[in-house]
Amino acid sequence: MKIAIATPVITLIVGAALAASFLFTDMQVTSVKKGDLAAATAVAPGSAAQPTAAASTGASAGAGGSPSASASASASGFVIPPHANYVGQVQGDLGSVAIVVHDTFAVAYFCNGSTQEAWFKGTPHDGNLSMTGKGNATLTASYALGHARGTVVVDGISHVFSIIAVHKPSGLFQSIAVVRGATIKAGWIVLANGTQVGSMEPNELAANPTSQAAPKLDVSSLTAQYEGTTIAVTPIDGETGSGF
Amino acid sequence: MATQWDPPPSHPSTTVVPVGPDPAARLLVVPALAGCLVALTLGLYGRLHPPTGIAVDIVGFSSPATVKAWLATVAIAFGLVQLGSSLVMYGKLPGISAPPWIGGLHRWSGRIAFIITVIVAVHCLYALGFGTYTPRVIAHSVAGCLFFGVITVKMLALTRRGMPGWVMPLLGGLAFALLILIWFTSAFWFFSFFGFRR
Repeated sequence: MKIAIATPVITLIVGAALAASFLFTDMQVTSVKKGDLAAATAVAPGSAAQPTAAASTGASAGAGGSPSASASASASGFVIPPHANYVGQVQGDLGSVAIVVHDTFAVAYFCNGSTQEAWFKGTPHDGNLSMTGKGNATLTASYALGHARGTVVVDGISHVFSIIAVHKPSGLFQSIAVVRGATIKAGWIVLANGTQVGSMEPNELAANPTSQAAPKLDVSSLTAQYEGTTIAVTPIDGETGSGF
Repeated sequence: MATQWDPPPSHPSTTVVPVGPDPAARLLVVPALAGCLVALTLGLYGRLHPPTGIAVDIVGFSSPATVKAWLATVAIAFGLVQLGSSLVMYGKLPGISAPPWIGGLHRWSGRIAFIITVIVAVHCLYALGFGTYTPRVIAHSVAGCLFFGVITVKMLALTRRGMPGWVMPLLGGLAFALLILIWFTSAFWFFSFFGFRR
């Protein structure tokens, strides 16, 4: 009888102990990653020749099992990946947004697969982005390992988003090509589930370029067919630095 | 001779007996306070510490979010076992008499579900914290803290003899309802937003 009375309490204690041990392990992993950052920033102050040293530090210390070995920590305590791709739909499903961060540079793109799109460039600060694009388009976001969220304003319409980190073949793709004398600029966002959404400006250099749906992107060959012409597509990938 | 009419035996009395508060419910005070403390602690921790964005990864899944979505879904499955077994125990399913192992099934499915939710919750609180940036996130955060509060009350209430009969169904029902709300505001949202994937 006494044991039967105590079992629910044992359940609670086991749960609390499990939580404590997970929390402890998480803290160990986090401190390892913060240590990586300290090493990386000390070794490589913006020099392209240094990353091997930082990478080897990350490889030796990054035993936590996360793919991003050399994540950095911001002043607020978030762990900020130096290289990351985030894609996802905005709330209300009126478009998709992609954010690509590569060291001290970030590119973002919003499009709805037809007439609304905007490209953004900016510099990340402690996991925060405040970017501007053509036509008073703005994008503000904060990101950490695995997740980014923020607000994008395109054509005066504000969209809130909460999106996740992805790896190839999901991500952001761009094509700038000259087809019959007109410079076209197209962008595609390939979502985590493989669906793609793309918009393009058929004449980017026009005074008031209009947007339309982009042709289908062939992710495997990195090409698209536009008006009978094959155009080359470049992935904008924060992990490899492609497109930067 | 006409017999005098008798009221039916099932409704013997029309006298109103004033019902005072059930003194047995006092037994619930300490468990309830403990549950409040747990819920409050989780909420304050989630709100006050800076979310790290990372936690321990589990091999075989593409991201921590997918791990949590699947674990939460497994917890829901065990939660449904909880609901079904408790309905059987209370004789609420017509035609099904409680088998002798139903208590064990209820206890063990509950323990497994609880452990799974603890794993998910630690990750949530550590990596993401108590969020308020959309209604979905607010609902999820509040329900998550309350869920562990209710579980605490229920576990502690189980140790006390002489509880009123409504306590366990109420607490169990609350826990299940909160679990469903938590799942809909996280795993269901995740799967519908990003599609089924590992």
